[in-house]
Amino acid sequence: MDFDSNVKQAVYQHFANAGTAPASDQLAAQLACSTDDVRAAFARLQQNRVLLLALDRETIRMAPPFSGIPTPHRVEVGRKTYFANCAWDALGIPAALHREALVHSSCGQSGAPLRLQVGLEGPEPSRWLFHCQVPAARWWVDLVFT
Amino acid sequence: MLFFRSEDLVRAWCRARGIEPRPLVTIAQLWELAVAWYATRLTPEARRPGPAEMRQIFARVGLNEPFWDPQADVFG
Repeated sequence: MDFDSNVKQAVYQHFANAGTAPASDQLAAQLACSTDDVRAAFARLQQNRVLLLALDRETIRMAPPFSGIPTPHRVEVGRKTYFANCAWDALGIPAALHREALVHSSCGQSGAPLRLQVGLEGPEPSRWLFHCQVPAARWWVDLVFT
Repeated sequence: MLFFRSEDLVRAWCRARGIEPRPLVTIAQLWELAVAWYATRLTPEARRPGPAEMRQIFARVGLNEPFWDPQADVFG
């Protein structure tokens, strides 16, 4: 694997194991490189729409489906808690981990709580709906808004 | 990208923001999308679907509106 792929793998493994984003100096130590090397890889991975960085260009805001910051979409897998970037990613986390999960979110209009059990074959039957305001062609124009 | 408890609540949410309701997606459809997007995300060979693959995935799930076309400019 090339360096950027190694960084991407390390980022995703960290999210999967810890539920949080890795810091650049952690990855640098793990990959035996400098933090500048990791920051440069982060920038390239953002350019390739693999990661979304915070304004400091160093903190990972999103490694879809994982969120680097707490959100209203919380996913419990075993004893671990993950945060998803959006409703889609809330189901994306159990899909990525291939684990059963309990998704906690809420209705965008009424605020009613959603508690959705997700098994290995998919979520329990539910009449809830998913709605996306931004057309697919514009998702990456402003991913946080999307 | 939000969850809603009913179609009426989606319409109320859109009305409050002055936007047209977009195509609705069921939880079962959303799961299929989540699997298509993310089931291999933790593997070294993982990659985001390209435009043609995205169209195929959406069509397979039954989402055929231009809204889901990654290269369409039909929706403002």
